[in-house]
Amino acid sequence: MSTAEAAPPANKKAAGSGKSFDIQEYALVGVIALLVVAGTILKGDSFLSTDNLFNVLRQGSIVGVLAIGMTFVIATAGIDLSVGSMLAASGVAGGLLVDSGSFAFIVGAILMGLALGAVNGLAVAYGKVVPFIATLAMLLMARGLALWMSDKTPISLFDLDAVRWFGTGEVIGIPSSLIVFLAVAAIGWVLLNRTPYGRYVVAVGGNPEAARIAGIKVRWILFSVYALSGLCVGIAAILLCGRLASASPVAGNLNELDAIAAVVIGGTSLAGGRATIVGTVLGVITFAIVFNLLTLMNLAVEIQSITKGGIILAAVLLQRRSSS
Amino acid sequence: MSESTAPLLEVRGITKQYPGVMALKGMDFDVRAGEVHCLLGPNGAGKSTLIKCISGVHAPTEGEILIEGKPLPVGEPSQSMALGIGTIYQELDLVEDLRVAESIFLGHEPRRLGLLDRAKMRADTTALLERLEHGDIKPDMFVRQLRPAAQQIVSIARALSRNVKLLIMDEPSAILDDGEVEILFGVVRKLTADGVGVIYISHRLDEIPRIGDRVTVLSDGRTVATGLPADTPRAQLVEKMVGRKVDQLFPDRAKVAPDADVVLDVRGVSGLPRVKECSFQVRAGEVLGIGGLVGAGRSELLRLVYGLDKPNTGEVHLDGKKLPAGNPAVAIERGMGLAPEDRKSQGLLLQWSLAKNVSVADMSRFTTAGFINLREERKQTGEKLRELNTVPDNPNRITRELSGGNQQKVVLARWLLRECRVLLLDEPTRGVDVGAKAEIYRLIAELSAAGIAVVVVSSEMEELMGLSSRILIMREGELVAEVDGSTATEVELLSHAVAPTDTNVVLEETR
Repeated sequence: MSTAEAAPPANKKAAGSGKSFDIQEYALVGVIALLVVAGTILKGDSFLSTDNLFNVLRQGSIVGVLAIGMTFVIATAGIDLSVGSMLAASGVAGGLLVDSGSFAFIVGAILMGLALGAVNGLAVAYGKVVPFIATLAMLLMARGLALWMSDKTPISLFDLDAVRWFGTGEVIGIPSSLIVFLAVAAIGWVLLNRTPYGRYVVAVGGNPEAARIAGIKVRWILFSVYALSGLCVGIAAILLCGRLASASPVAGNLNELDAIAAVVIGGTSLAGGRATIVGTVLGVITFAIVFNLLTLMNLAVEIQSITKGGIILAAVLLQRRSSS
Repeated sequence: MSESTAPLLEVRGITKQYPGVMALKGMDFDVRAGEVHCLLGPNGAGKSTLIKCISGVHAPTEGEILIEGKPLPVGEPSQSMALGIGTIYQELDLVEDLRVAESIFLGHEPRRLGLLDRAKMRADTTALLERLEHGDIKPDMFVRQLRPAAQQIVSIARALSRNVKLLIMDEPSAILDDGEVEILFGVVRKLTADGVGVIYISHRLDEIPRIGDRVTVLSDGRTVATGLPADTPRAQLVEKMVGRKVDQLFPDRAKVAPDADVVLDVRGVSGLPRVKECSFQVRAGEVLGIGGLVGAGRSELLRLVYGLDKPNTGEVHLDGKKLPAGNPAVAIERGMGLAPEDRKSQGLLLQWSLAKNVSVADMSRFTTAGFINLREERKQTGEKLRELNTVPDNPNRITRELSGGNQQKVVLARWLLRECRVLLLDEPTRGVDVGAKAEIYRLIAELSAAGIAVVVVSSEMEELMGLSSRILIMREGELVAEVDGSTATEVELLSHAVAPTDTNVVLEETR
């Protein structure tokens, strides 16, 4: 450092990329710890059983995979309301290939997810439709597609052992769906933090004009995040269908809201330009535990709903506080 | 101004401590009723903090502020306002979708029986604007229709509507061209004749003797000279401000070989609604200036050349090859770079580190097997930042924390890193202090000496004359004149820039 004025007062907080989200992430770790303590006190036996904890994580994994894709979409200041419906459509698309085996199911589900995501991407990036509207339309269309393709009846996947393994299997005692979720999260983290692509995504969300002037292909980036979200939907569909051993056209209802909530309480900014995969993972875990505790305590559905909504509001208010 | 006048405002030894930074380290100065007191200082000298203390946005850590001899309640913006302190910020804070009258009375609308008294609002607005001798601005016009200078006047009228005694103007001329500045000065003189005291902040040294009575120089959080007469020689002011002598603001112009290759060739480019059939060429190592009034279409022309907007007609050739229309990514690939007019909203991601902002246009340089090499990124971006004397030059710092001049250096560092062939600079020194200006000028000269073709758009004629080998003048979307940079005079440039019939200074032409 050559000049005396350069004495850096803010050096510590800027020591590395992404460090500014730490407060939020620490706060969520604290919340999760509190929830575990609360669960232990309230329902110690059932909450702490291995079966229950794995169940929590299995359930969480499906929304978790959706939330990773959603993180990229929200980082560009967009939103994807259609992931719940696309989840059903992807499962059904795979289910139509049930006679051709597990591999065909997997390919079918992923391709359908990608294709529907790409339609969202085209509408937003090239058709300049507001993301809220484009994906709201997809929410309706994908659900209709799922119902139509399946003739409104669930398709049994009981014979697809490999698919069922993704839903219920284990590797050295760890649920396979959790492994898939963590793998998707790890890839998402690298993509977001260690590749030019991740930089561009955040740049487009933070300041599309500046991104364009710096030579970033803004439309391509916008297109790609919706396709990426579709890809995550395809992966989540495999986990979900494997767990249920069937492809249901009514599955995934309102999952988009769980995914969005997890992303936002994790600290990714709905206004774009700020994204954190670690936060999203913590947000997913927080939600899964809350959901599980409410179920274990046998609270009525309406009380569960009110509680969940309250938690989202509280978490976002907390985020305001800590980021200002 | 007689010495016996009691000071309207007195600032005594105020300091302001932010966490980790001492922004003000002791400031003293005073403003008398009816005078224009200019504040001068490099970016980061503490001008903004001082203003915020006076207008009550921040409370000073020590010291006192007296208004008409009485202590000002600190940290209470509404109290400051009630005592007659008005502030006009650099970025105009008018709501563009409101009408003039609504803007002026926003927040203190006259009421009758609990309802808005529109008639009184309109009548009062007319009276205020006439007092400023600008009855040509009508209460029912929309703010967005007005030119920047007229918007400034509306801001001033708004301050007057609250019975302002002390008006703080933060770089009001930054977004105005020379003709508009003259209009603004007329209004300021009118205010002071009515006994209003004005604090006037500007980076344009030439304005000080034209509008000011006295001048106070700030540097590094202190007043280094206070209450100097406004006609203090310029060199002396600059010396006080930067703490050393700046012998030469403009570097020596590089000689352009007449047979140097034409790097950028713009052929008949038009784009609605502003740009009509513009053609020009820039040779390697040349600095081409583009002057004209604000709104003449200069920034729009640069946007078309760079590919940010698609031209209706015309072509841009780079190194003899045609560029695809409306594709900045390809333009950058082929060696073009743009430092946009508004760095904050167009040039930079303010929440990003300096390293990310510098590297963003050239990520492949730091990417191995698809992954970013963060260490290499920090190292190379740090080198460029140091080369430009950016303060701070630590690539991990957040861009938002930097002053305007240093943010501009971050934008320039980006294109230096890319080693581009053509650099388009739109108002490169707007809001930049004299010290940093000289450095940016030196950099432009170095770049052109290294064979880069540079296009500079500026509203400051002096800057164009000091830098360019040729100056093009743009008027109402057309390039109307070409002047030799070394022999041009301000009068000559202005006479080309202003159309003989162009008398409407109030309304922006329809967009």
